[in-house]
Amino acid sequence: MTLETSVNESIIGDFLNFNRNIAEIPSRISVPHEVKMDTCEYDVVYEEDRIRMLHYKPLTSKQIKTPLVISYAIVNRYHIFDIDPKKSWIRNLLESGIDVYMIDWGTPTKLDKFLGFDEYVNDYLDNCIEDVCDRSSVDKVSLQGYCTGGTLATVYSALHPEKVKNLVATAPVIDGWKDTTVISNIAKNFDVDTMVDVVGNMPPEFIYYCFSILKPFEQGIEKYLKFFQNLDNEKYVNSFLKIEKWLAETPPIPGELFKQWIKGIYQENLLARDKMFVGNQHVSLKNITMPVFTQVAVGDHLVSPECSMPLHYAVGSDDKNLEIYPTGHVGMIASSYSQKNVLPTLTKWIKTRSD
Amino acid sequence: MEKPLDNMFDYYKHTSMFWNDMISMMASKPASLTAVGPLRNFTENIKKISQELIESNQEIVNFNTYLMEYYKQLGETWADSQKKVMSKVSEIPQDAESTEAYKRVWIDMFENDFTQLFDTESFSKNYNKLVSTEMQLLKRWNTIMDIMLKSANMPTKEEIDEIYQELFSLKKQIKKLDSSKKRRDVKNDS
Repeated sequence: MTLETSVNESIIGDFLNFNRNIAEIPSRISVPHEVKMDTCEYDVVYEEDRIRMLHYKPLTSKQIKTPLVISYAIVNRYHIFDIDPKKSWIRNLLESGIDVYMIDWGTPTKLDKFLGFDEYVNDYLDNCIEDVCDRSSVDKVSLQGYCTGGTLATVYSALHPEKVKNLVATAPVIDGWKDTTVISNIAKNFDVDTMVDVVGNMPPEFIYYCFSILKPFEQGIEKYLKFFQNLDNEKYVNSFLKIEKWLAETPPIPGELFKQWIKGIYQENLLARDKMFVGNQHVSLKNITMPVFTQVAVGDHLVSPECSMPLHYAVGSDDKNLEIYPTGHVGMIASSYSQKNVLPTLTKWIKTRSD
Repeated sequence: MEKPLDNMFDYYKHTSMFWNDMISMMASKPASLTAVGPLRNFTENIKKISQELIESNQEIVNFNTYLMEYYKQLGETWADSQKKVMSKVSEIPQDAESTEAYKRVWIDMFENDFTQLFDTESFSKNYNKLVSTEMQLLKRWNTIMDIMLKSANMPTKEEIDEIYQELFSLKKQIKKLDSSKKRRDVKNDS
């Protein structure tokens, strides 16, 4: 008796290629932790404790007078805004003649575990903005906040409206009760008091856990299969390594800030319910009367559109704009899509509202 | 199911605590008579460490219960997804692209089912109980370490936390003084 089995030739070919790639990979690509992530040049113009403020070098001979300060998120680092020259948010803004500053929240140590909203908003963010105002001889800046940085920027704009000319909130975390992501599902039942009491700062390992439950198979398996299949594609490999390095470099979150975040935003929804206090001051979104641009992404699996959009309806501004993009959380700021669709509208919006 | 277990634990805990205290008391006289300085401290530490270990038993059981439930949730979802994938396999055409098609179906099915699981209240509640119990166990471990650090004349977590708190408020005060000085200087200049 003869047993015949037929195996498709392309499967064998793919399998052999895959093995060849695994064997050759170390000699063909850079060591991941040596990959350089930023593409635009900058100077560190302000430092306080762990935080730094970066000032990007202009790419045009003339710039608008009102500078833009970007308050990055407290999860991961700012590099994603400038990780690929062709998809760089920063480069696009600079090429549009906008003077850009970026706040890098740094890596908190155990000593920083008592830092909360008050210190982040009324000290760090305020000092950075004061510094930019002094440097640029202006009274107000345009302020952009991304993700959790969007919440900090929103709270700052409500408490210090006299210093903010325009507010750009990109996927901000505003209404925790309306958030439909798995992150908010975990956060709603999270015993944050015990966690902070025992470990102090929120460790990166826990943040990685949260990442791992977001698209676990696409991000945990398929992404790496694709990587090994595309080792011949230099552009793909470079971009992959940069993103991986960026994902792996998330700093801890100060314990007090994390506690206030989980309880105040996700569990008690204080900001959206007009019951939030920072440094004994009431944070009323109605105090935000400057022009506001809210950007949300339909496919955002970290901050759902329902969580960000209430900002648009709650602010006291007459001049407000809400844009909903068919992309994801990172796609909104670091993709070809954002270069073509998100940034042109934003730069035009900022320029028409700046000196 | 929970009540008798609780009683069993209460009985076990009570008995262990009773003998722990009794042995410690019975040994205290001979120990203080023969011990010089730190050795006396050592017997006291053993009693405190035993107490912490006895107290942690219930938490260890809880931790295991939540951990089992966690893996059960993951395991059941995995099995369900795999079943769904197998039922779809017959629909995938057997051609050159079949491997890619199978992979796509597998990933989509698993992604969808696991996201649904992570979205449920039961997952969130169990996972958070698991983390919370782990933290309580870690707290016990910290306490045991503190007992040992104290006997080695080293600062405990609580003492280090106090220093951190002190430094934090000092830094805040200095910043406040700095900014009020700056404001005063600007006022004087103008």
